[in-house]
This record gives sequence, structure tokens and C-alpha cells, in this order.
Amino acid sequence: MVGATEEVELNRLESQVDNGGGGDWKYLCLVRKLKVRRSDKVLKHGLSILNDSKKRSKLGGEEWTLYEQVAIAAMDCQRTDIAMDCVKVLQKKFPESLRVGRLEGMLVEAKGSYEDADNIYEGLLEDNPLDQVIHKRRIAMSKAQGNISEAITRLNKYLEISVVSVSDLWQIMMPGENLLKSMFHYKCEIPVKFHEYKQAAFCYEELILCQPTVPLYHLAYADVLYTIGGLENLQNAKKYYTSTIDLTGGKNIRALYGICLSSSAIGQLTKGRNKEEKEGTELQSLAATALEKDYKKRSSNKLPLLTATLKNLKL
Amino acid sequence: MGGELKYEIGQNAYIKLVLHALKHKTSSVNGILIGRIGKDDVIEISDSIPLSHSQIGLLPALELALIQIEEHYGSQGMSVVGYYHGNERYDDVELGNVAKRIGDQIHKYFPQAVVILLDNKKLEALPKGKGLSPVVKFYTKDASKTWRQGGGSDGGGRLTIREPSSNIVLLDCISSEKWQEVVDFDDHLDDISKDWLNPGLFK
Repeated sequence: MVGATEEVELNRLESQVDNGGGGDWKYLCLVRKLKVRRSDKVLKHGLSILNDSKKRSKLGGEEWTLYEQVAIAAMDCQRTDIAMDCVKVLQKKFPESLRVGRLEGMLVEAKGSYEDADNIYEGLLEDNPLDQVIHKRRIAMSKAQGNISEAITRLNKYLEISVVSVSDLWQIMMPGENLLKSMFHYKCEIPVKFHEYKQAAFCYEELILCQPTVPLYHLAYADVLYTIGGLENLQNAKKYYTSTIDLTGGKNIRALYGICLSSSAIGQLTKGRNKEEKEGTELQSLAATALEKDYKKRSSNKLPLLTATLKNLKL
Repeated sequence: MGGELKYEIGQNAYIKLVLHALKHKTSSVNGILIGRIGKDDVIEISDSIPLSHSQIGLLPALELALIQIEEHYGSQGMSVVGYYHGNERYDDVELGNVAKRIGDQIHKYFPQAVVILLDNKKLEALPKGKGLSPVVKFYTKDASKTWRQGGGSDGGGRLTIREPSSNIVLLDCISSEKWQEVVDFDDHLDDISKDWLNPGLFK
């Protein structure tokens, strides 16, 4: 995820470049570094450097990185003609390269020939069975074809492979960690589409176990539990909304709302039979106060709507 | 609830939902349709509220949005009359389970509820043709309580845009990248200073 300050800098650079104020290369580097998807801009500004032999030669060895970046952006913008030109240049420079091989696969993929792309990827995997990018491409390809069960099968296979391949390093530094986590996160998202909420809840449990201090996982887990419903799930949802608030220093609006929603739903189910209810309403009013304070400060025109919402949830 | 239901969508409501989908090209989007029953029982869709562009199947944000939308529009004599959805994949033209289930909920409170699904193929063809019909498919609940696509030769209702020039205005909005300005309820929850009513969008 991109931090707020980085995003401000990125947007500033982008408008500077858009208005011809220079800094094109710096912008393209930042896009790569932050791994953001601004394909139309990358295509436009990257191509103008590539088409200018003077600018291009200034890049030195980075020239090839730019060809790769523009190729991918072009695929994203359905300009497979441009992508093909870039890939051809790279093939000439780096024959037999795995990295260029992947690009070739992606190009075929972009043209919609999934079967051919899969053949290319399988060929590459024979020599490099643990290549994470290729495994991810194959998962994405199943998803693009709407074949969710195949996507999940491939995802599981990928997870097995990556755990095996990083298991030695796992105890020391966990370099594959972020990637692994993001794949788990991806796995959580697929079942949500299928209404397999319980499976998604399980995935988030795993994620929280791996990285207990990421508020995003606590929040997502709480949202899934709330969606499944039932007294126990609602109570747990509330706990995880609470831990999200704890981890974010009370700054997460969704978690504050979550407390109000889950308290209200619990109240409806127990109708005063629950002893913990008193404590529950206290937490709810704390969350409500925090919301009101925040809305007063940053969104005063929506304050009446917030007040009405909170009233609605108090019952 | 036969095939005679008529829906009329206002230009701003229509354009806003298409722009919302264009802003989030790589994810599903959804939103709520606001309106009232007008003359001759025509259901007038006068506004659309962009809701979400991530984790669409989860309840908390949806419930919150519905409470606030009803609160806001109730005082203006309007209510929730339907739901719109844009699929994640470009070539996916089926109404998915999540959309159906949210539609079911709305149908409980508004029996003539309509579900609108953005049709990417029609949208893509828009600059080439001079079509006046909306670039969406729509669904209503039939007697057997399943969502059935409307507008076909076998009936199932009719959906028209109130202003005939809407598609031309839409193309204008697309080429001026107006979609960048669309704020949905998701954005609001991330930063409450962003207004999901999009008051300045068509000014």
C-alpha cells in the first residue's frame, strides 16, 4: 500500500509531468518503486522517452527497464502493438532471458490467447519451477477467465511452493513474507465473491496470526464476521473492531462505525438479557462520540446524517 | 409485477453510475438507485449513489450507506428503488450472486425494485454509434421471484433515459476524464471529508 505522503508526491510529480514541467524519468521510477498502476500515464510519458534517442541513451542500462515498464503499461491499455515492439527490442538484447520470456507470455495473455500463454508459462516453469511471478500470472489468468475454482487450486499450489522455498529463510528474515501475505489476502478476497465467508474468515485468522499488528486484517476479519452474523460472530466482530481502533489510535472510521453496528446488532439479539450489555453500550457511546468529534472537524455538512445514523443504531 | 414495469432514469443518475465504473476499471463497483413512483406508475430514477469499489460482498458498509441514504432522501420524498452493479471483468455480462442478493434486500422494501448491470460491450460501442438507449442491462423480479432481464421482446419492462442526449453528454464526460471526480461511500469511509453525494460533479 502507498502511504499518504508518497501519494501526494506521486500526484504532484504526475501533474508536473502532464503539464510538461519535466521530471518524466523520476516519475516513472516512482511509479515502479511504489508499484502503482498508472498505465495510461506510464505509456504516454515512457513512450516519449523511448522515442527520443537522446533521452533514451541518457538512461544507460536503465533503458531496458523502461522498455519493460512501457511494455506492461501498453498491455494494460490494450496497445498490444506498442507492447510487441518493446518486447521485440528486449528479445533481441536478451535472448533466452526468463524475464523477457515472462513478458512474452503476458503479451500473448493480453491478446486474449490464454491457452497459448499458459503453454509459454508452463514451458518457463519447467526450468524455473519456483518462479513466483509466473505462478501469480497463472492464478490471475484463471481469474480473468472467470474460473475461480481453478484460481484457488493454483493459489494453493503456489502457497505450497513458496512456503517450501522460503522455509529455511522463514525463521531468520522471512523475505517472502510480504508476498506470501499478499497472496493470502488475495485468497481471502476470492471466497468473498463466492459468499464463502467462513473460508474467508479462516484466511484472515491466518493472516492475523502471521502479522498480528496489521489493523487492515483485524478490520477485514471483523467485517467478515459481522457479515456471517449470529451472536458469537457479532461479539467477535466487535472485539476485532476494538483491536483495530487500538492499533490505529482511534483513527479508523470504519472500525468506529463497526463498533456501533455490531453493538446494535448484539443488542437486538440479546434484548437486555446479556450481562455484558452495559459494558457494550459504554463502548458504543465512546465510538459514537469519537465519530461525532471527527465529523464535526472534517465533514460538518454530514454531521446531521451521522447523528441520525447513530440514533437509528441505538434503538 | 408483470412485464409492464416502466423505468425512467435521469441523466445525472445514469452518467454518474457509468463514471463510477470507469473510475475503478479493475474492480467491481456498486451503488444505489434513488427515486419515486411518478405519473402513470413510471418509476423515476432521479439519482444514483456510488457505494463501493472493494469487498462488495460485505455487509457493514452497505448497511451504513443504506441508513444514511434513506435518511437523506427520505426527507425529500424519495426512496431506494434499485441497485446498480459493474462487474470486475470486462467480458463478464452475467448478473452475479452478490448483486442478486443485494437486489433481494431492496426488493423486500420496494417490490418494483430494479437492478442495473453495466454492459461493457454497449459502452465500448457507444463512440461508434448514435445509440440513445442506456449502456446497461436491467433486471426485475418476476412472479417466480427470480431476477429476469428486462427490455426483451418477451416484455420484462422498459428502461429509458429521461434526456435523449444523455449518451452524448456521457461521451463528453468520459473524454474530459470526469470520472476521476466521482466519490463513493468507500472513499468517504477512508476520508470523511469526501462527499458521497457528489454535489459538485455536474456543476
